[in-house]
Amino acid sequence: MNMLLRRNSSQLRLLAAAAARSVSAQVQLVRSSSTDNDSSAITPITPSTHAIGKTNITRKPSHVADVDIKKSVFISQSHDIFTNLALEDWLYKNFDFSRHHVLLLWANDPCVVIGRHQNPFTEANVSQLLERGVTLARRNSGGGAVYHDRGNLNCTFFTPRERYDRKYNLNIVTRALFREWAIKAEINERDDIVIMNKKISGTAAKLGRPNSYHHCTILASANKLHLGESLLKEEANYISRATSSVRSPIRNLCDINRNVNVSQLLSAVGYEYLRTAATSLEDGGSAQTMNQRGFQLINPTEKWFPGIEKLRASYSCWEWVIGKTPKFSVEKDLELKGDEHGIKIKLNVDVENGLMTDIAIKLPQNEQRIPVVTPLLGKPYTEQNLRAIIGALQLVSKTNVQQAMNGSI
Amino acid sequence: MTTKMAINAKDIFRNQHRLIRFIEQSIRLCSNQSLKAARQKLSENQADDFKITSSVNTEYSHSLEPIKHDKDLGHLFKASQLTVRLASPQQLQPKPDNDEALGFGKLFTDHMLKIYYHKSLGGWQKPEITPLENLVMHPAAKVLHYAVELFEGMKAYRGVDGKIRIFRPDMNMHRMNLAAMRSGLPTFEGKEFVACLSRLLSIDSEWVPHTDTASLYIRPTLIGIDPTLGVASSDSALLYSILSPVGSYFKSDSSGAVSLLADPSYTRAWPGGVGNRKMGSNYAPTINVQKEAAARGLQQVLWLYGEDHQLTEVGTMNIFMFYINDKGEQELITPPLNGLILPGITRDSILGLARQWGKFKVCEGVITMPKVCELLNQGRLLELFGTGTACVVSPISRINYMGQDLYIPTMEQEKPVHERIRETLTDIQYGRVDHPWSVVID
Repeated sequence: MNMLLRRNSSQLRLLAAAAARSVSAQVQLVRSSSTDNDSSAITPITPSTHAIGKTNITRKPSHVADVDIKKSVFISQSHDIFTNLALEDWLYKNFDFSRHHVLLLWANDPCVVIGRHQNPFTEANVSQLLERGVTLARRNSGGGAVYHDRGNLNCTFFTPRERYDRKYNLNIVTRALFREWAIKAEINERDDIVIMNKKISGTAAKLGRPNSYHHCTILASANKLHLGESLLKEEANYISRATSSVRSPIRNLCDINRNVNVSQLLSAVGYEYLRTAATSLEDGGSAQTMNQRGFQLINPTEKWFPGIEKLRASYSCWEWVIGKTPKFSVEKDLELKGDEHGIKIKLNVDVENGLMTDIAIKLPQNEQRIPVVTPLLGKPYTEQNLRAIIGALQLVSKTNVQQAMNGSI
Repeated sequence: MTTKMAINAKDIFRNQHRLIRFIEQSIRLCSNQSLKAARQKLSENQADDFKITSSVNTEYSHSLEPIKHDKDLGHLFKASQLTVRLASPQQLQPKPDNDEALGFGKLFTDHMLKIYYHKSLGGWQKPEITPLENLVMHPAAKVLHYAVELFEGMKAYRGVDGKIRIFRPDMNMHRMNLAAMRSGLPTFEGKEFVACLSRLLSIDSEWVPHTDTASLYIRPTLIGIDPTLGVASSDSALLYSILSPVGSYFKSDSSGAVSLLADPSYTRAWPGGVGNRKMGSNYAPTINVQKEAAARGLQQVLWLYGEDHQLTEVGTMNIFMFYINDKGEQELITPPLNGLILPGITRDSILGLARQWGKFKVCEGVITMPKVCELLNQGRLLELFGTGTACVVSPISRINYMGQDLYIPTMEQEKPVHERIRETLTDIQYGRVDHPWSVVID
């Protein structure tokens, strides 16, 4: 029961489907919602084989020997979340990874990144983020909301679909942490990296054809105060079927070992990636590193990657960040001023595609809806607009409300 | 598949990039209209197009004689001995945002290839790839005193399929070895060096943008580092290569033509000299002359030789002339390899291609300024252009000769030959056409 509670809604659905197929619990199931479930291909896997994570075992992939696969570590020169998301997307759509695996390392200026199917208003206070200069972005993979800043390192592991291996990727990170700072980290069943039960990394993935990627965050020296403040939503009752995040206590690596910083972490993870064999967790040392393609700085501009500006625009536009929010309703209990006692009402706002489509008051006695006339109808939903409506309502006198109630009966 | 169908498929494949461009520009109609128009355009181009075949006719290209190494040269290096020291993330150089910052040869990539030669240690040492770093040498090193140095210029292109290609590297290697023999430097196996270069290119491949018009300039260099002042062969040498990202066009030559200064008082090369070898010592004396040309508002120097003012080279490029000869036929002519001319690889490729096309006469012969003036007066001079790795072809529009301005109608031709040549060569270099001259390295 405890295990179930720690999962978010999409994972619950997948687990239920798996249980229905009565597959062994060792199977690597947790994937993003954008993938297709090849039910025929999933077979029970024992933890000792290195095939953990290979979900499509029956199909024969074009076999490339480990020694022919060369690895690169790309380091993004940009710290803008939209540009980096566009770069990730560009590589996913255009690069050929069949003989060339890539690890992309990036860090962003302060921002909150929500999953593909999430509701930003249940994850953070969107108006406040705007005021404080924290960018809000929506990524293409599923999962929960995260706060990024320069003290947080993002890692994206690119491979062809048939060589997608999440456990391999996470082990590269834990090995790097041990080799560099003797930090012992564990991977829990939700594919988070935890140290002494506190989370230092979250994971999401996108599997397509022919390419796939798995990205994760690593908290090195993020500003925990900002993190807490940014992920606080406005007080209200949100009725939403979007994926909601599972809150976990987090910790920075620099809390465990003072010497940890993002640039050293970048080097450590990069070298660990280069010195390990391509599909098995075998360390080849400097001899293996010497045969790889090494580190490269990447400048994600139109000159180097034609078409990336268009991708960036699609990530930064309102229609994607806010407009893609699944339909939801906000309910807030209000007390209107009266002579002796106030009238308790419930304000209800329906939001579709980010716009307020219906604003109404519900009376506690009966379930009647009184529509509220306001120029804000049809406008984008924000917490500020919600507070404006509440402010306007509280100015309305009790007699007015009684008249409206009587009139409608 | 009938022969007729086979020919059409090949033509479509060859012209696919033009076809795609055309289709993208035309309106999206559900009817066959746009397709019909595209087919029409294809058939018009077919008539006057120069067919690129994927075979190289041996009659028109000479095979290179293998280099004879000195008997006491010692060991030769092999690419399989290559060791790599990768640059750490802190040593990497940031990439610029756009082309304006690039220029030519101002920015270099993160790694370099170094191969030492020491006679006392048995000959060539193991090749190594290291992060780009300064060289340290003794102040008496021969290269610093007697210009015991030679270099090469080649380019790596990112093809339309994303793979990186180099153009006829065997020819650059042969040229390098010939120059080495003349300056008392050790010779080496070209094939092994190209294999080492391929590894260097794969490490720094992200320095080539993912567009289909970008390239990386490769500069292999061989210097004598013997720390003794005697004018003699070098017992120690260093063969190294650095890479430089270049912008899509060159500002002075982009689609516009250049103007030249032709002053017979300056000589670049002479019989018995090393005009036909790519040595640094040939270039230092030209810098001031170039400065003078710029002061007179001209972009390049046209190098003349002899009493009859023979045209030899343009700046650092070979020169070609397209004209109507005495028999009334179209002819493409370039100065012969008589010792004054650098045997350019672009030059050789153009001669080979033009001979294969067979559309006009192709000739290697001496061109003199009086002849150029005569042809110009009679309206028989059609085009004059320079050729080189950097810009492929560079059309010439004006020459300032003996105080007079000669205007060459290169850009006024309807279907200029130099444009056809540029298109064909870039098609091969960027892999739009499969050709043995363009070697894939990945």
